Amino acid sequence: MKKLLKHERYFQRLTSNLKMKLSLLFLFTSLFTIQARVSYSQGDKISVKVENQRLEKVLSFIEKTSDYNFVYKVNEIDLLRPVSLNVTKEKIENVLQLIFKNDSISYQIFDNQIILKKKPSVKKIPRRTAKTTNYQQLVKGTIVDDQGMPLPGINVVEKGTNNGSSTNFDGVYEIEVGENAILVFSGIGFKKQEITVNGQTTINATLQNDTEQLENVVVIALGIKKEERALTYAVTEVDGDGFTQAKEVNLADALSGKIAGVSVSNLTTGAGGSSRVTIRGNTSLSGDNQPLYVINGMPMDNTTLGGSASTSAGGFNIDHGDGTGGINPDDIETISVLKGATAAALYGSRASNGAIIITTKKGSFNSGIGIEFNSSFTVDSPMDFTDWQYEYGQGNGGQRPLNQSNAITWGRRNWGERIDGQPFVAFDGIERPYVAQKNNIDHFYENGTTFINTIALSGGSEKTSYRFSISDTDTKGVVPNNSFNRRIFSLNLNSTIGERLDIEGLVQFNRSKSYNRSSAGDATGNPNWVNMLANTVDVRWLDPGYDENGYEIEWNETPYASNPYFVANKFKNEGIRDRYLGQVSLNYRLLDNLSVRGSVSRDYTSFDFTAILPTGTLYTNNAAGEYHGFDLTVSETNSMLTVNYNEDLTEDINLGVMAGGNIRKYQNEQTNYDGRQFIIPFFYSFTNLQTSTTIPSNQHLTTNSIFGSLDLSYKNYLYLNATAREDWFSTLTASNGADSDNSILYPSVGAGFVFSEVINKPDWFSYGKIRSSWAQVGGGLPDPYTLNESYTMIPSSGEPLQQVTQVGGQRLLANANLRPYTSTTFEIGLEARLFNNRLGFDVAVYDKTTTDDIVNAQIPVTTGYEYTYFNVGEVENQGIEVAVNGTPVKNDNFSWDINYNMAYNKNEVKQLAEGLNTISVANSVGNWAEIHHEVGQAFGVIKGYSMLRDDEGNIVFDSNSGFPMRSELKKIGNSVAPLSMGLSNRFKYKNFALDVLLDGKFGNDIFSVLNVYATRFGLSKRTLEGRENGLVLEGVDQNGDPYTNTIPSTDIRSYYQNLKNYSDHFIYDGSFVKLRQVVLSYNIPVEKISLFKLQSASLSFIARNLFVLYSKTDNFDPESAYTNSNAQGFESFALPRTRSYGLNLKFKF
Amino acid sequence: MKTIYTKLTYLFVIVSTLFISCDDGFEEENTNPDASNQVDPEYMFTKAIYDALNNSTGTVYEFGAGGFVQHFATYLEVPGLGDKYLYISGSYPYAFFNGAYLDAINEIDKIIYATEGVEGFSNQNAIAQIWKVYTYHRLTDLYGMVPYTEATTAFSEANYSPVYDTQEAIYMDMLNTLQSASGSLDANQPSFGNGDLIYNGNVDQWSRFANSLMLRLAMRLTKVNPTLAEEWAQKAISAGIIAEPSNNAIIDYPGGQVINSNPIAFQLRNNNYSESNQGSSNTEGGKFADTFISYLKENNDPRLSSFAAVWINGSQKTDPELQQGMPNGLVNRPENFPGLSEPNLNTLLSLNSSLMVLGSAEMNLLLAEASARGWTSGDAQSYYLEGIRDAMNSLEGLYGNEAAVSEEEINTYIASQSLTGSLEEQMETIHTQFWVSVFPDEIEVYSNWRRTGYPELTPVNVTGNLTGGTIPRRLTYPPSEISVNTENYEAAVSQQGLDLFTTRVWWDVEQ
Repeated sequence: MKKLLKHERYFQRLTSNLKMKLSLLFLFTSLFTIQARVSYSQGDKISVKVENQRLEKVLSFIEKTSDYNFVYKVNEIDLLRPVSLNVTKEKIENVLQLIFKNDSISYQIFDNQIILKKKPSVKKIPRRTAKTTNYQQLVKGTIVDDQGMPLPGINVVEKGTNNGSSTNFDGVYEIEVGENAILVFSGIGFKKQEITVNGQTTINATLQNDTEQLENVVVIALGIKKEERALTYAVTEVDGDGFTQAKEVNLADALSGKIAGVSVSNLTTGAGGSSRVTIRGNTSLSGDNQPLYVINGMPMDNTTLGGSASTSAGGFNIDHGDGTGGINPDDIETISVLKGATAAALYGSRASNGAIIITTKKGSFNSGIGIEFNSSFTVDSPMDFTDWQYEYGQGNGGQRPLNQSNAITWGRRNWGERIDGQPFVAFDGIERPYVAQKNNIDHFYENGTTFINTIALSGGSEKTSYRFSISDTDTKGVVPNNSFNRRIFSLNLNSTIGERLDIEGLVQFNRSKSYNRSSAGDATGNPNWVNMLANTVDVRWLDPGYDENGYEIEWNETPYASNPYFVANKFKNEGIRDRYLGQVSLNYRLLDNLSVRGSVSRDYTSFDFTAILPTGTLYTNNAAGEYHGFDLTVSETNSMLTVNYNEDLTEDINLGVMAGGNIRKYQNEQTNYDGRQFIIPFFYSFTNLQTSTTIPSNQHLTTNSIFGSLDLSYKNYLYLNATAREDWFSTLTASNGADSDNSILYPSVGAGFVFSEVINKPDWFSYGKIRSSWAQVGGGLPDPYTLNESYTMIPSSGEPLQQVTQVGGQRLLANANLRPYTSTTFEIGLEARLFNNRLGFDVAVYDKTTTDDIVNAQIPVTTGYEYTYFNVGEVENQGIEVAVNGTPVKNDNFSWDINYNMAYNKNEVKQLAEGLNTISVANSVGNWAEIHHEVGQAFGVIKGYSMLRDDEGNIVFDSNSGFPMRSELKKIGNSVAPLSMGLSNRFKYKNFALDVLLDGKFGNDIFSVLNVYATRFGLSKRTLEGRENGLVLEGVDQNGDPYTNTIPSTDIRSYYQNLKNYSDHFIYDGSFVKLRQVVLSYNIPVEKISLFKLQSASLSFIARNLFVLYSKTDNFDPESAYTNSNAQGFESFALPRTRSYGLNLKFKF
Repeated sequence: MKTIYTKLTYLFVIVSTLFISCDDGFEEENTNPDASNQVDPEYMFTKAIYDALNNSTGTVYEFGAGGFVQHFATYLEVPGLGDKYLYISGSYPYAFFNGAYLDAINEIDKIIYATEGVEGFSNQNAIAQIWKVYTYHRLTDLYGMVPYTEATTAFSEANYSPVYDTQEAIYMDMLNTLQSASGSLDANQPSFGNGDLIYNGNVDQWSRFANSLMLRLAMRLTKVNPTLAEEWAQKAISAGIIAEPSNNAIIDYPGGQVINSNPIAFQLRNNNYSESNQGSSNTEGGKFADTFISYLKENNDPRLSSFAAVWINGSQKTDPELQQGMPNGLVNRPENFPGLSEPNLNTLLSLNSSLMVLGSAEMNLLLAEASARGWTSGDAQSYYLEGIRDAMNSLEGLYGNEAAVSEEEINTYIASQSLTGSLEEQMETIHTQFWVSVFPDEIEVYSNWRRTGYPELTPVNVTGNLTGGTIPRRLTYPPSEISVNTENYEAAVSQQGLDLFTTRVWWDVEQ
């Protein structure tokens, strides 16, 4: 049943009787041979035998057993009306007449498309009397939509008469009209248009979409579609088109700013990096807090394989990419975001953070081959946020380097003389003029490029439909020699076998290869420390970073700050990831209102990663390099069985019941290969290492579930819904009388009331609904094998060695007394559409509380362990979400649509563990700042130090060091932004459309490691004070006596170097507003080009991350996250943010 | 319709069998196939021995204690805690603290727990108790008050916030433990085998080791409580200490894996000294300190050639006249950096060199002091000279032929030495020698220096140093103790004094 979901209509048009076999060969040969238009199956005869079935069912049955498809507006047709019918091999016209004989529904048959609509109400058009048959002229024309696609089934009526016609399959109509006639063109889903004939014999018209008129159908849990009006909780659906123009390589990043309550941290880890998405705040102290991703009803694995980057590590502190990075945006039909726990109750524990439901495009039955081609190219240019001081150049103690040794020692120091253009000696021993080098960022980084090409074929026969797509993403990063390539092959099949069995399958194969992903965090092996080059040194002098023997060239005092060119040119890392995603589902209709659905899906990834610290890396042992690698396979298998039952209890009340079970198995098997010192230099094999270890690790876990749901609807305005689910977790201990338990049962209830159906409402009030729901979701322990202590043998070349097993590198104290946690959400929402749908809004308020949260808490090392799991956390999120959409201007040629969304989430950590007030989640490089969860504070506060002050506010000095004492560790900021908003505008003028998206986040803070070092090295503008005359520091000493310390200008470095101890000097307000996306597209009027049966074509100029419109950070992008873990709030030498712009070209044949 | 009900019944049966026991097999599934559920005392003991000695050999040996006692120097600031009492970043002040509890102490407690009262494991239990004292005494000497009685009780007693014990209480308990553990050793009972890397389970040797450790701890108390020091020193000596090199506690390292390599050699190579660096691009800017090299040179100490070398034309030269150390307290790389002395890669830094845990050289020097104090019989000077002889003799065994000191060289050197004068003068002589003879056990040398004040070292005073230009008296606690063991941390600080490098530990009384 087509409820006017866009796109499909056009494919359907190319109906074909070819019984196509799904051989790939055939697909490709048909590419060139297809002449799609064949005859239509007008002759189908219909047999139906039903008694008191819902109209909906009857229409659906006709669609399934014939070539006919119905198109209608959901709210015009009483789909629940009972129908009784007994016809055998009747013509469709007769069948329709029987069905609608007493109904106010008219039908029109266009080829195999049947359009149902409400008969015009009886408040009458004044009838033209005698002259009605007195036609004077014939008018012909073609009606197309705004994409230039011919529109079949458009009503053409002479205004003021009931003289009418409609367009045929090619969108062509013919009508005889009287003089002074005005033609009215109307069609479901389109804006009505009137054109005065005025003697013309050809009148072509373009009808504008009027999608708001349509009743939206959204995809909710388990692949079930529901009318939006029947939902009792917040679901936002985004059309796949929104992702296919200005693409992000990682799909999740494209959600940024689009949906109220969905927060996307745009990581700066380069192409193929992962994403961090949170919905309605962070709920679990130890969970990843990211939503569950579901493709076509089945969960997929979104873990960051090989681990997320850490906040403070160096070497290969790389973001390996996550699961959403493996989805081709061009394959997406729609994305539904289920925000609340209610929406997700049926998916179980992993959906406690919400769920993102992806529905991929499918072929349609009875259609010829449709070909889509989508190509985009963007240039990604690094943005330079730095604003350094260029008054004083490289040097120390007010002196410039005059020999090579000094130049190296002072490689990162800018405590030299005033920049004067006179000679100095650089790290390479060459004398050069002492002038400011302001463009090092531009010089070191290159412009990246991203090509994304997708070709998709789709179509279907009577019983089978298919869609096959190939996508290639090819990215060159901004750091030299960094690249990423991804190919995705996807095949979607739908088939009906016999009368009662439907089969649906999806097979996807991805291969992605990443070369030389960039590290972030600490300095070792991190090319982005190029930011710290002294300001009179041109970065290109460092190129190529190695000497004639291939060894790294020293450019500064410590080899731990790697030569950026050496890293870019000689370091190697390579990740090859193969992913197979397969799912099959069978749906068997036992009765017309009872069906059983079984499905199996498997998401399997094998990932091989190798990183080489090459021979000549100065910081490695004997400069002989290191080898790090792993092979891992991860699989997630879900087997699910559900039974669906639907029954009209009375004429007005419908009951839907679903029950089922699911078995989820997750396995992660990893072997790590690490070694040091290549024996034969420059030969990078695992066989060529002085010392090496091979360590296997694995994680196996199972979650078994049973669940059920119950839906009741009364007429078309009152909806009730209840669900229940029980999960059993293999990672927990069964109840043993103590606190432990391995299962949890959790319910949800919800109600929706479309009050606009029952109240006396003014004309301008089109639609109004209020909804409310209460839901619980339970969750288990993410890590297996942590209940009981175990002991592991470790590699030894001498006597055997045994140690306490570490879990994920943590010394984790086992705790068997754990039980599942619970997340409870209550929400109320109000949605309304006004002024003939020109203005709409949706407001939701919610409270989401996690209790018994399983907390991975840091414990004192003096316990012998660093962490343990406690079952005591409580986290509360309260928030409001507002989405407003409107169409301020709308006329024939021009329209302006505006969408605004805002979300405010207040988060509070209510409880950790008894006697435990704070837990440390992560620390920055140098431990200057930490991320904590602290009772009474929001999730993820940034803690650090400030200068100690006495009661009068005087700075307290340590008379030993002469510097201010440091305060105790205290909160200095919030890492999570409570307020976020997005504003999108769409302007359309004839064939042009301009989309502009702005988004912003407010109220969070960022600790900047870059600025710590920039201050330490004298790059920062704040270090200008005291360079000429020194600084006088005043305050009190530890005893409270007045204290003065004079820092001479020659020693000023020590003062600024010491500032790092006071982390509050480096904390920045992270609020920002960005011009996220601009797309200017032009729909090529294909009807004028009769080339290759082109159906539509568009060309767009696309741009992402264009400008930062508002920001309070110095020298770095306010969005500088480099890990998708819970440890947000640090900036630390990640890749620069890139501004991307380019072109997108789309064709449909 | 009937068939439908039949189908429904089937379905119901299928669904219920699937879920009838929803947690079947979970226990097996949740068992790590790559881990054992039992402690093997022997294998874990080997790990505990390694871990006690490989703990922070870079951050604490070389850049902490080794700098404080001016054996090592670096011109860089980040690793400059020992060299110039700066703390820029990194875990230099607390890496040892974390490492001790997470590895060696937790492991040794697992062994004690697993062998406590178990038939046939009394010797293993006693040896583990002795090793525990060895592990702990280094920790408390560096930090003062530390969790001791309640440490690592989270596993057995769910205590997640261990209190800090006073150093005095820890010392008393350590001394008593040594006495009781060594007393319970029984040659007729089974013991550790090859897993005991030091004595192969030989209980007599372990008894001597316990008594020697007791003497070390007893002498530590000379400033704070001389009476107690005398009492325990006499107890230790009469029970039999390591007086002969044959009793030395030495670990041989086979090399290969990192953990099987001499940890001092490994870390120093990793941090600074390697063939590829050629004395020039030393990663952490390290060299031997001028104080150390000059002393060896001025005294014609033959050990100079065993330890030190300079890079000349691509190879390390050990000629004494070429040796020159780097002054402590530099903040810029000196011009002559590549030509300064650093540890010899073939001796001290050989990855399969051996490590002296506790030996007769140290014992003889302590006996010399005890004798000078009149606490024991025997001639102080004889002990003193014996100490030197043992120290020099041990070098070949530890570091190979290149480090060997010939009998002739030993005799020449010894001929130049004598122990005379007041107790204070004798103390200076003994403990300056201690500073050379116990090298590279930097933690012990640093503790001994704090107790005796010898050799007299001239501190440096760079801008921004944390001690006002004095050599630190202890290391500081890790930030994690401040944030997650707050109350106990604060109680310790209020009792011991601020958590500063200048605060003195209990036995380090200012005199």
